[in-house]
Amino acid sequence: MSQLLPYLVLGLLLLAVLAWWVWGAITHRGAAEVLSPRQHRSSVRSIGLQRDLGERIFGPQDWDFVSRETPSEIQRMFQRERTVLALTWLRRTRLQVSQVMRAHVAVVHQSDDLQIATEIRIALSYFLFLFLCNSLIGWVWLHGPVRTRKIVRQTFQWAAQLRGVFEQLMARVDPASCRVAGTNFNQGTVRN
Amino acid sequence: MFNQILWWIGNAIEALILARSIKGKLYEKYPAFYFYLSTVLLIELLRFTAYTFQPSLHRLLYWYTEYLVATVGYGVILEIYKHALKSSPGAARIARVFLLGVLAAVILKVVANALTNPVWSPATTLADLERDLRAVQALLLFVIVALLAYYRVPVGRNLKGIAFGYGLYVCVCVMSLAFDSLPAFELQPEWRYVQRIAYLAALSIWAYTLWSYRPIPQPEIESEIERNYKILAGHTMRVLSRARSFLKLGGEL
Repeated sequence: MSQLLPYLVLGLLLLAVLAWWVWGAITHRGAAEVLSPRQHRSSVRSIGLQRDLGERIFGPQDWDFVSRETPSEIQRMFQRERTVLALTWLRRTRLQVSQVMRAHVAVVHQSDDLQIATEIRIALSYFLFLFLCNSLIGWVWLHGPVRTRKIVRQTFQWAAQLRGVFEQLMARVDPASCRVAGTNFNQGTVRN
Repeated sequence: MFNQILWWIGNAIEALILARSIKGKLYEKYPAFYFYLSTVLLIELLRFTAYTFQPSLHRLLYWYTEYLVATVGYGVILEIYKHALKSSPGAARIARVFLLGVLAAVILKVVANALTNPVWSPATTLADLERDLRAVQALLLFVIVALLAYYRVPVGRNLKGIAFGYGLYVCVCVMSLAFDSLPAFELQPEWRYVQRIAYLAALSIWAYTLWSYRPIPQPEIESEIERNYKILAGHTMRVLSRARSFLKLGGEL
């Protein structure tokens, strides 16, 4: 029976990947619009902007104040509302990182100088990020955002890594644009 | 009786797909796939003739022709690879690396098996050989389809049908041939229907998706990229400019 296992696993893997492919084709019919690099760039930027919001939601300041100054009923209400807020923030962050990934894959599959190692790194980072984000959603839902704070810091680091790797890759995909930007920056000619 | 019905329905659908390919000149676009389909149809008819007039020859002929069909199937995979990744050099590059890896692993395994197990038994070897050939096909298809799914490479309806139908059939073949080697399953005639039903399902998918020629959509995003990259560069400049101002102010960047 054990000799069957590799064949069964292989068959199931192929079946799963076929289902994933068909599902992807059905759910992303209008992919070209979603994947436009313009949107991707704005997503990259807003991930950065949202970091401040996330730090505030998960930060200890508000909770310290509420726990010090208010009765337990208000504290419970605060925790409930903060949980809803944290879950919304996490889902939004996940969506934006997914948009970045979608834009990334839409661009790079046409690129001649694609780096396989970088691609694998990005894919792993992305799947790790998704795993962590989904785990966090579960944790926040169960325990609230205050106790989940420490884990969130790790998410920020991974998100920043993903962003860094992605920007490196964009520089490879379209070095001309990035070079222009870089040169202008070095020469101090950029105007906001 | 049920097997006979399945067999005739299969042949009829195959003939229909081939007739449609002649009418729509689809065979010019996907020659390897239609060659595979024609080979299968001819072999089925040959087996039927042998079964009717020379039943003793049928079993041996069955295994040799099964092996032939599995081998011709590699042409279909090559065609899927060639057409699907034509406009995606990046994804094609990854595919080449992985496919060469698969090939190297298979060669190593064959050599290792030949060295450790020098005893040859034609009857079991042909069955095992078909299972292994199908397993390698499944691996190759897995790599190609995974890349198509991950990079969302635009694939036309024709090619999507060929890949999905063939993938489904190969998947069922690998699993059923693996179970076939178990004594408990070998003697159950119903077990043989699984492959035939899977092939009928694949034929139905092909008949539907290959009814007429649908070109592979060229990624419009290519021109979008050029246009949007200018916007992208503008964004980069603004971001860098802001970063510089942060530095001047002694901010965190």
